[in-house]
Amino acid sequence: MSWAQAILLARGLSRGWGGICSTALTGAPFSQVPPQAPRGLRCSAAAHNPDSSLVPRPPEPPRRPVKALAVHEELFRPALDGTRDKANFVQAVQNFAQYNVHKRGHVDFIYLALRKMREYGVERDLSVYNLLLDVFPKEVFRPRNIFHSIFLHYPRQQECGIAVLEQMENHGVMPNNETEFLLMQIFGRKSYPMLKLVRMKLWFTRFKNINPFPVPRDLPQDPVDLASLALRHMEPDLSARVTTYQMPLPKDSPDTMDPTETHIVGIQSPEQQSALARHDPARPIFVEGPFSLWLRDKCVYYHILRADLLPPEEREVEEIPEEWNLYYPMQLDLAYGRSGWDDYEFDIDEVEEGPVFAICVAGAHDQATLAKWIQGLQETNPALARIPVVFRLSGSSGELLASSSELEEPPPPPPEGQEEEEDSQQRQQKGQS
Amino acid sequence: MSGCGLFLCSVAARFCRAPAAFTVSRRPLLTSPPSRAFAKDLFLGKMKKKEVFPFPEVSQDELKEINQFVGPVEKFFTEEVDSRKIDQEGKIPDETLEKLKSLGLFGMQVPEEYGGLGLSNTMYARLGEVISLDTSIAVTLAAHQAIGLKGIILAGSKEQKARYLPRLASGEHVAAFCLTEPSSGSDAASIRTRATLSADKRHYILNGAKVWITNGGLANVFTVFAKTEVVDSDGSVKDKMTAFIVERDFGGVTNGKPEDKMGIRGSNTCEVHFENTRVPVENVLGEVGGGFKVAMNILNSGRFSMGSMVAGMLKKLIEMTAEYACTRKQFNRNLSEFGLIQEKFALMAQKAYVMESMAYLTAAMLDAPGFPDCSIEAAMVKVFSSEGAWTCVSEALQILGGSGYIRDYPYERLLRDSRILLIFEGTNEILRMYIALTGLQHAGRILTARVNELKRGNVTTIMETVGQRLRDSLGRTVDLGLTGKLGVVHPSLADGAHKLEENVYYFGRSVETLLLRFGKAIVEEQLVLKRVANVLMNLYGMTAVLSRASRSIRLGLRDHDHEVLLANIFCSEAYHQNLFTLSQLDKHSPENLDELVKKVSQQILEKRAYICTHPLDRAP
Repeated sequence: MSWAQAILLARGLSRGWGGICSTALTGAPFSQVPPQAPRGLRCSAAAHNPDSSLVPRPPEPPRRPVKALAVHEELFRPALDGTRDKANFVQAVQNFAQYNVHKRGHVDFIYLALRKMREYGVERDLSVYNLLLDVFPKEVFRPRNIFHSIFLHYPRQQECGIAVLEQMENHGVMPNNETEFLLMQIFGRKSYPMLKLVRMKLWFTRFKNINPFPVPRDLPQDPVDLASLALRHMEPDLSARVTTYQMPLPKDSPDTMDPTETHIVGIQSPEQQSALARHDPARPIFVEGPFSLWLRDKCVYYHILRADLLPPEEREVEEIPEEWNLYYPMQLDLAYGRSGWDDYEFDIDEVEEGPVFAICVAGAHDQATLAKWIQGLQETNPALARIPVVFRLSGSSGELLASSSELEEPPPPPPEGQEEEEDSQQRQQKGQS
Repeated sequence: MSGCGLFLCSVAARFCRAPAAFTVSRRPLLTSPPSRAFAKDLFLGKMKKKEVFPFPEVSQDELKEINQFVGPVEKFFTEEVDSRKIDQEGKIPDETLEKLKSLGLFGMQVPEEYGGLGLSNTMYARLGEVISLDTSIAVTLAAHQAIGLKGIILAGSKEQKARYLPRLASGEHVAAFCLTEPSSGSDAASIRTRATLSADKRHYILNGAKVWITNGGLANVFTVFAKTEVVDSDGSVKDKMTAFIVERDFGGVTNGKPEDKMGIRGSNTCEVHFENTRVPVENVLGEVGGGFKVAMNILNSGRFSMGSMVAGMLKKLIEMTAEYACTRKQFNRNLSEFGLIQEKFALMAQKAYVMESMAYLTAAMLDAPGFPDCSIEAAMVKVFSSEGAWTCVSEALQILGGSGYIRDYPYERLLRDSRILLIFEGTNEILRMYIALTGLQHAGRILTARVNELKRGNVTTIMETVGQRLRDSLGRTVDLGLTGKLGVVHPSLADGAHKLEENVYYFGRSVETLLLRFGKAIVEEQLVLKRVANVLMNLYGMTAVLSRASRSIRLGLRDHDHEVLLANIFCSEAYHQNLFTLSQLDKHSPENLDELVKKVSQQILEKRAYICTHPLDRAP
């Protein structure tokens, strides 16, 4: 059967099903696993309460006492040396298959294994998912006739299969031919896991590269590397140079508590540099921040050095010098310009913003650290010495602090009460000049 | 040698007019003297037939004189100059240079009163054909006199001329033209070399570095462009460019080692540094602060000669490759019997014929009395001939096959040498801008009233225009009077002439539309400008060949039927090219891919890399 047919059929199935048992499934399309994806045993059993389901119940395995769960749990006991890696996980899965010839309680085991994957660091490993799918007994759950395929055949198992695929999807693992082959063996072509697989195959390739600003999957652990990655991510100009103004002190040194000794990494493009050189020293420039930037599951805080927009009357009109191009006229002496009928631009109100001269990511958000950044910038931007710098540091980072332990610990929130405070050092310099 | 006097006065006239053309504040429409521009009028869809028909001739005496002169030079170049050795050693031998000097080739366009040959532009072009047999020598000589000492001829005072020209003409001194800087190619504003007036106001102190100076290592006299402080009429102090004549003996002039180049390896190109060089105030060329115009005039004046030079080279190339094609056997047949090889010869001959016609037509225009402003024509000759040279040499190499790639044969050298032609004296891209913009400026001024009326919505003008367009779209026959009873083109070329007329007419229409559409913002539309320049070049080429072939038929010159063939081929090809280009200029035509092209390049330049994924890459 061709894919197209399968999709059509599957779509029809799902629609039909939605109509039939919307009460049971709260109207969710079937390929979508309910939100509590890696659900626990009890939860799963509750969803398929025989009273609320029209589907003929699958042959229920003998009611599993709490003890049974413990049996499966035992398979995932940490190894003797406490390591948890792929080999251990694979071993656990194999043990299940080996000691449980009849595959009793395989659905529970798979749900359990799905939850455990992250601990073992195998949640992005396609071969492990295939191994998990392989736990299902083959040919048993395949629909044998048209009624089987119209009505959800072995719903609990099918849902479990979908849950595996769902977890793959969440971690961006693209199923391969082996997955397809396994699903075909287990559930047959006309089944919901298969439909899910087809949809994954269709959309994954399209969504994979949808982000025009891709972030590498494995982010660097070193804060300096992470900072330069974040800066590159924000700066559109490829000529811009990342400078490390200060390296963090090594972890084992006694002064790690000193917040000023953290890393300071900045970026500046040549254009920003020349814009800063042209900046009128009478107008102050501002250090603002911290602003947050999320790179996958890590949050980086950055500061910008910016100036206010010049009022329109003070802006220099860029004029074409008379004797500029030796070879051809740079402008024509004509009274008329471009006609209106050649203008296809939409009428967009653009909010003009002041220029940004540099960006930095520092380990601490206090004024002392940022003053060091400004000092470092002065080496390449001598004009900066003459321009007053105002620090406008907001108290909060403007982002909710991540409470989950899964996220990297964000840097400590910056100290409060630094708004509109002028750097004394800059003031000194101003006094000198 | 009457041409030279005329040439001088024409130059003087151009000098007076130059400010008008390049200042924005004034409206030169009223002030400019009647110009005899042929190319500019094409922008209006008109032809000034008198300028180009009949093809210009030189008198019998002049011809005799040229031939007398050309003979020994040609003999010298074919017998004594070893181009291969010059290329390999990267140096022109001293004895060769001495011989060139004794032949007077260092002062071809220097007036006779200063010891030069005082050749007219036509005769200079003729001699260029011979000199181009060795590209390195041709470039050395051109750098010496087409740009190096041209400033003194064009803008020098009597004293400066008397002081420098005799020794430059004799070759005792070699001249170089120092404009380009590391930070400044065609951008005059970014020139860093600076000349400051000394305390006693008798000297300028010159400081700076110039790069890629041809003859930089040989020259004793430099035309140097530097920034000086000039007090404006309103009292403000401004930096302006000034031209200086600098002798090496002034001190502080040093040059780097010769650059290792791809082609024209025999010519000397190097950096020249000026360190506290004291230049007497008498050595200011032209006015203080007037260096920009001096530079522009020098650059504009030298270009036309490339046409005849390349034509000379191509003629030689055709001889050599024809020899090979008629002797090399493959499958028991000579190469010359294969259609794909024959095609290449036709192409080479056609290109040579067209550029020769354009070059001599332009030279004659420059020699004509009056105020000929032929800078557009000269630029067209340069662009056409340099690109022709590159394609033809490449095709010749193709005929030769593997042998063309071997250093034992001269072809690869010619290929390397001809590549520079597209780059120096203003890159072809820049010259296309010049050609198009200068013409559009001219047309724009004349059409101002009409465009304004159209924009204001004057009913009569709009109806007139619509009616005109309607008639055009119904297929009008354009008659600009090239053929017919009082026609200037021979009937056997009538077909080509009709094509030219049609192209000229529709070109004028297109220009009008473009001006209406873009106005002065057309400066930013480089893709459009390139096409305008391409059409114009084709039109000029068609005019030149029609004019020349008609003359040949009328005079019954030998093999004029061959010329008719070439002219017809070119006219036909150019006509179709023009039609295509004109349709590309139409905003809504399917041929116009500008938007797509721009988008692609924008995306690439944003990433600074080729964007597409590898063909072997997979989705998952």
